[in-house]
Amino acid sequence: MFRHLFKLIWNKKKQNFLLISEMFVSFLVIFAVFTLLVYYYQNYRTPMGIDYENVWVVNYTNSYKTENTDSLAQFYETLRQTVKSLPQVEEISFSSENFPFSMSTDGDGLVYNKSREQVDVFNVEDSYKDVLKIKVLDGRWFASQDAVAKERPVIINETLKKKLFGNENPVGKLVRFDYDEKTKVKVIGVVEDAKVKGDYVKVDPGSFVRLDTGSFHQLGNILIRISPDADASFEGHLYKTISNYMKNSNIEIEHLVNKRKDINYFSLVPMIVLSIVAGFLVVNVAFGLFGVLWYNINKRRGEIGLRRAIGASGKSVSVQLVSESMILATLSLIIGSFFAVQFPLLNVFDLPAGVYITAIVLSVIFIYLLVFICSLYPGKQAASIYPAVALHEE
Amino acid sequence: MISLQNIQKVYRTSTIETLALNSINLNIKKGEFLSVMGPSGCGKSTLLNIMGLLDAPSKGDINIDDQKLNNLSDKQLAQFRNKKLGFIFQSYHLINDLKVLDNVMLPLLYRNSSEKERKQSASEALGKVGLSNRVKHFPTQLSGGQKQRVAIARAIVGKPEIILADEPTGNLDSAMGNEVMDILLHLNKSEGTTIVMVTHDEHMAKKTHRLMRLFDGSQVQ
Ligand SMILES: Nc1ncnc2c1ncn2[C@@H]1O[C@H](COP(=O)(O)OP(=O)(O)O)[C@@H](O)[C@H]1O
Ligand SMILES: [Mg+2]
Repeated sequence: MFRHLFKLIWNKKKQNFLLISEMFVSFLVIFAVFTLLVYYYQNYRTPMGIDYENVWVVNYTNSYKTENTDSLAQFYETLRQTVKSLPQVEEISFSSENFPFSMSTDGDGLVYNKSREQVDVFNVEDSYKDVLKIKVLDGRWFASQDAVAKERPVIINETLKKKLFGNENPVGKLVRFDYDEKTKVKVIGVVEDAKVKGDYVKVDPGSFVRLDTGSFHQLGNILIRISPDADASFEGHLYKTISNYMKNSNIEIEHLVNKRKDINYFSLVPMIVLSIVAGFLVVNVAFGLFGVLWYNINKRRGEIGLRRAIGASGKSVSVQLVSESMILATLSLIIGSFFAVQFPLLNVFDLPAGVYITAIVLSVIFIYLLVFICSLYPGKQAASIYPAVALHEE
Repeated sequence: MISLQNIQKVYRTSTIETLALNSINLNIKKGEFLSVMGPSGCGKSTLLNIMGLLDAPSKGDINIDDQKLNNLSDKQLAQFRNKKLGFIFQSYHLINDLKVLDNVMLPLLYRNSSEKERKQSASEALGKVGLSNRVKHFPTQLSGGQKQRVAIARAIVGKPEIILADEPTGNLDSAMGNEVMDILLHLNKSEGTTIVMVTHDEHMAKKTHRLMRLFDGSQVQ
């Protein structure tokens, strides 16, 4: 029977071409959606790498006008002591603009031997690690002795370690940043990857550079780890404390929990839009398929009547029609998969091969299901055609 | 071989009721060649469909080969048709997307048989209707008479005991019609196949063993 159906399909290749193309295109669209979904899901499943839940960020405008670095440092040190002395504050750290979920980035090239990687650069204080509970995997975090170190220290994340050093131990190795090619900096530690760009975004290679006391004029954010019992009234109190100290400065307090939601929303929007577009397409294709199968069955009433007359039961007629659709689906899926596997083979978008493979498998299942469901009803309908009536019509 | 007792067939649509057959009693012996005649719409096709188990009567009993066939399931009926009956239609009902050989093989697909056996039997059947040289053609490349011969080959490929032919020569000119008729007569004579044929042609009806006339759903002769 299988051979018979194949002959039938082959001899009708012109009519079937349209149907196959339609299934093929839907496969590719579904494949794109699933690739993105699987990729997002995979990123979502990787650990966050930091503890952001009781961390607030205070954004301020630098209102202390002075050319004197020392007095500026003094000004902010006092602020630090004032805030830190509040009982609900556990730790505090000044930070560059690109703190977690901030949607701002600061990048540079980092060179080790002959290889170079584009990296995120985070300018941080020693206390940054404790505010965000960053885990040190190798070597150590910054400490006060680094202020007088011969080579400026740098800390890298796991992703950067893998890309730049592979299996080598990076601790103690000398590297250079693009912006200051002559000065070597020394890797002193490796920290766990942190998804600072949101749950769904892959962690980029990252490096941490220690802020020195001369950099306060370029900062505008304070990360504060507060105790879990801190509430809205404390937030008001904190706000007042800081704004009393920094007259003429615009102060804004945000929670990293909310910043995370915002940034996730940003990556979800394109996903949602794509899914809606794909959803419409799938519905269209489903109706198209359904229509074509329906039309074919009505065009083939004579054939169906004849098959019934010569020994096909109603059920075997519907099995035949559903099988024909499934064979057509198989043909389009073979062609579709051939194109889809080019993505991991040619590494088109720098996604892991596993993401593509999973997406291909899911899309194949999806298309099979779609075609099966779309042909089930027309197939059933065909089974209920009265042979005497169908044979009478021509 | 075939026995119809008090067969009645009523077609009901939302607006009208048609009495297509009215108390038909008929016994057809094994090896008999019966022709059925009557004006258009008198119920000839309906009678053949009921004998062919393609349609159920509203009333009455059908026995074929001493088997009562009123209460068989859809699947059992299909199997019965496949083994015992061969059909020939006025409009051939060939599948245009299949080659002649594949068309003839069709009934064997619904039995247990190997591809080789199917090809063998189909070639033999095509030989009997004189079309061994058209095996690889598509139906659209054949004349009407040739198409009907393919349909006959398809009807006999499964070696059925009964052939039901509904105006098999209705679409053919007299030369081609005679060819087809000769094949049926030969089949009846040499293989003892029981044949029921609907026809409009008195001349052809005369060549058969017995003639049944229908008028308005009732048997008149
Ligand atoms: N499926 C059907 N539904 C309603 N009426 C039908 C159907 N099939 C046949 N008839 C009616 O039954 C009568 C007999 O039809 P048919 O057996 O096809 O006649 P014939 O073959 O002698 O020309 C006709 O009046 C026809 O209109
Ligand atoms: Mg008729």
